Amino acid sequence: MMGIAGAFAAALLVVPPFMGDYHVYLLSLTVLWAIFALSMGLVLGFIGEINFAQAGFVALAAYASSLLRLKLGFSFWAAAPFALAFVVVLAALLGLITLRLRGPFFALVTLGFGEIVRLVLTNWQDLTNGPLGLRPIPPPEPVLGLHFDTKLGFYYLVLATLAVSLVGLARLIRARTGRMLVAVREDAILAGFVGIPVLRQKVIGLCFSALVAGLGGLLIGPFLTVLSPSQFDLFASMDMVVMVVVGGIGTLIGPLVGAVFLIFAPELLSFASELRPILMGGLLIVVTIFLPGGIVGLFRPVGADLPWRRMVAR
Amino acid sequence: MLAQQLTNGVVLGSIYALSALGFTLIFGAARVVNFAYGEMLMLGAFATLTLMNLLDISFFFALPLAMLLLAAFSVGVYFVIVRPVLRGSELQVLLVTTGLLYVLHDLAITVWGTDPRQMDMGVDGIVEIGDVIIPNQRLVVVATMLLLVVALYGVLYKLRVGKALRAVAQNRHGAQAIGLNVNRVVSFAFAVSGALACAAGGLLGALYAVDPGMGAAPLLKSFVIVIFGGLGSVPGAIVGGLVIGLTETLTGSYISNGFKDVFTFLTMIGVLLFRPNGLLGARRT
Repeated sequence: MMGIAGAFAAALLVVPPFMGDYHVYLLSLTVLWAIFALSMGLVLGFIGEINFAQAGFVALAAYASSLLRLKLGFSFWAAAPFALAFVVVLAALLGLITLRLRGPFFALVTLGFGEIVRLVLTNWQDLTNGPLGLRPIPPPEPVLGLHFDTKLGFYYLVLATLAVSLVGLARLIRARTGRMLVAVREDAILAGFVGIPVLRQKVIGLCFSALVAGLGGLLIGPFLTVLSPSQFDLFASMDMVVMVVVGGIGTLIGPLVGAVFLIFAPELLSFASELRPILMGGLLIVVTIFLPGGIVGLFRPVGADLPWRRMVAR
Repeated sequence: MLAQQLTNGVVLGSIYALSALGFTLIFGAARVVNFAYGEMLMLGAFATLTLMNLLDISFFFALPLAMLLLAAFSVGVYFVIVRPVLRGSELQVLLVTTGLLYVLHDLAITVWGTDPRQMDMGVDGIVEIGDVIIPNQRLVVVATMLLLVVALYGVLYKLRVGKALRAVAQNRHGAQAIGLNVNRVVSFAFAVSGALACAAGGLLGALYAVDPGMGAAPLLKSFVIVIFGGLGSVPGAIVGGLVIGLTETLTGSYISNGFKDVFTFLTMIGVLLFRPNGLLGARRT
């Protein structure tokens, strides 16, 4: 398994210079979605909740960064910390309000929050230019002699962001926070009894998830060169959910497999594009019922733990 | 002006209450959050319209027929996708209903296209009370809501199956212990939920328009209302529906129309901060 992953990572580094522009673009798109799916995977697999506001977090980071650049003349790099801090603070607030409650409040409120973000971006026309969107968003400025204004240069920036996120999250889930989150996920009441600060760990997890989503958000503006509110609707969050579940929930590799399986493969085969959304929803249902470990689960030993909180016991 | 806005708020609130009822009912009975609920509303509107055209009958005959269809569909949803994961985790239930939302939404776009369609209720004219103007159509909406609420209370408090439903909602294991068939009771709750969704969808479609995207707003409103009134609470859904309808109409006309949903959302956050069980919700054990 590790060997395959290593070979795959090497291919992602070495092969793209020999590919055409379209394929590099497609690869960038896939890697970008892998970043989003990775951020959703942390919430689904380690907090055990669905975050329907994830596309909203992406949108907020994208808009905050692009507005700072276009209206106040910040560079991409100077705008990034502000945009990320903004998203993380909002995520912390949402988490503090909803995650202390038992019940489906997190999912309900994040769905509302995601729609509110889209509504504000649509209606606050003086700032965001409404449905017409912000354009043109220039590529990130060169830094340390590296240029990002070609498809290939930008691809490596996206790939580096994914690598940094992946390493960061891998460290997080192996550290105290991650192990506490698993304990909370398995049995919140027991975890509380043995002295785990349940709410704090969940909020920390959510903040890291928002941070990774925000990193992807910084890149999506320059990638598409246009930002408009309709790109960040409920279905964008749901696509991330499908990638995580199809790839394998409760793992870090799963979301990446899901992104390859659901973005790269269908585009490359230009496969039934009209029916794709129906297939996405259908896959979500079928995989949840019949293959709860996802694609990655096929390769795991039987009985390996899955993040399904017991409903009956609560 | 104020009286007119209050009246509009009550009409809007009636539809919201009706949508929230079906949503809260299955949460109460089975702890199931149905994210596809808004799409069931949309399907209800399309079913009503299709029956009207197909059988050449009026809205008032087509709506009850469509309610039966949606009730059957909702029971199907329970048995095919919800029940297999009900013994698993809450997250799995959320995932399958999310998947269903996705499927139904895009299926509707594929079948009916995205253009909004008109649905004629066949009721014209207006009533004037003082300087308040109420189209008869809107009176029909309020009357239908009242009728269905009375019927629902009748079912819940007089019929055996309704009493069983309340028992399951109160204590699932206790209900099982005294020999109730929980599975049958929950599928009944799904049937009623589907019928109520269809009624709300039909009325919304007649007042505004029928299109595949029409389910999103009522779904969100239902969330706000059930959080406001207490998850799983039937009176909470009715009161919550009216309050949210009024809040929206008043903030929409006096403060800002584009941002009225933002106020509704902030109301929900306020309730979660200070009364997380909802205004009428009982403390859950």
